[in-house]
Amino acid sequence: MSLFEAIFGRKKKSAEAARDRLKIMLAHERVNTLPYIDDLKRDLIEVVKKYAEVNDIKIKTEKNQDIDFLEVEILLNPPKS
Amino acid sequence: MGTIITVTSGKGGVGKSTTTANVAVGLAQAGKRVVAVDFDIGLRNLDMILGLENRIVYDSIDVMEGRCNLSQALISDKRDKNLYFLPASQTKDKSALQKEKVRELLETLKKDFDYIVIDSPAGIESGFENSIFLADEALIIATPDVSSVRDADRVIGIIDAKSEKAKEGKEVKKRVVINRIKPEMVESGEMMSVDDVLNILAIPLIGVIPEDKKIISATNLGEPIIYDKNSLAGEAYRRLSRRILGEDLEFLELKAKKGFLGIIKGLFS
Ligand SMILES: Nc1ncnc2c1ncn2[C@@H]1O[C@H](COP(=O)(O)OP(=O)(O)OP(=O)(O)O)[C@@H](O)[C@H]1O
Ligand SMILES: [Mg+2]
Repeated sequence: MSLFEAIFGRKKKSAEAARDRLKIMLAHERVNTLPYIDDLKRDLIEVVKKYAEVNDIKIKTEKNQDIDFLEVEILLNPPKS
Repeated sequence: MGTIITVTSGKGGVGKSTTTANVAVGLAQAGKRVVAVDFDIGLRNLDMILGLENRIVYDSIDVMEGRCNLSQALISDKRDKNLYFLPASQTKDKSALQKEKVRELLETLKKDFDYIVIDSPAGIESGFENSIFLADEALIIATPDVSSVRDADRVIGIIDAKSEKAKEGKEVKKRVVINRIKPEMVESGEMMSVDDVLNILAIPLIGVIPEDKKIISATNLGEPIIYDKNSLAGEAYRRLSRRILGEDLEFLELKAKKGFLGIIKGLFS
């Protein structure tokens, strides 16, 4: 932080917000162009279902094109008690 | 064999046609034989930007449907003997293009020209596919705003899926042009910077074009801004064209003219 900012204070600038919002949204959108994504989701649900009740599967990645990792988030239904 | 460069963006109105015109002139000025091809079928406007609208007799659909020869439809630019223009049809809709006819046309052009620069329509529908499927290189135009960057990202992600080159295991050379940068807004934190956009899109940069009012007057006159030796955007397009030819050039340093507050800030930093 510069002295100017220290003296006059600093609010979050809109460019920063744009950057953050884009990063989050694109992480989800990017996997949608993968040709196998729907099949993968379906297969994953099949496997996990053997062990727990699946509510939803979210897949994301930080890259476009040569994707070398996928982040998979499996949301479970709470066990009935 | 010539190189096909497709200018694309996803989002409309971000500067595809302007970039196509200026890059075509820039490559021609460097001594290459160039043809600018308008693939925005039904909404032609590259003709006006190039100032060639009064010379049109036939268009690319006429060629593809055999109503005339290619040489009858090609318009030579009197300002530069290396530059030619192939207009889009205004009467037909985008579906008028047939992939095999497009292939035939582009393969003929590749024999005659060093560079074929294609202006594509907005969107990722059939018009985009026809523009991209034979591309060797793609220039993805993005402006520093959320919707343009989002759409550019989407386009980057599907280029290879639509490209014949990619099917042969080769890669379409994809590079981004960031257009309409306003330095004073970037400096005040109200516009994403070139680095911000590059960071998100993660493909190499080939041009940064500042917001420049002279682009509007250049379009009014039908004289691409690159002819204007004194304009910043013109210089940016000259450099962009030379980078396409393989030169390693610095990017223009775009700085806001400092106002009073800027000077005060400068004293404190
Ligand atoms: N760097 C710039 N500075 C100022 N004005 C610009 C700049 N780039 C483009 N423009 C203006 O923005 C408008 C849209 O540009 P252009 O027609 O090149 O976009 P496009 O992507 O081809 O649009 P479409 O998707 O409708 O085909 C034009 O009026 C043009 O003059
Ligand atoms: Mg256009």
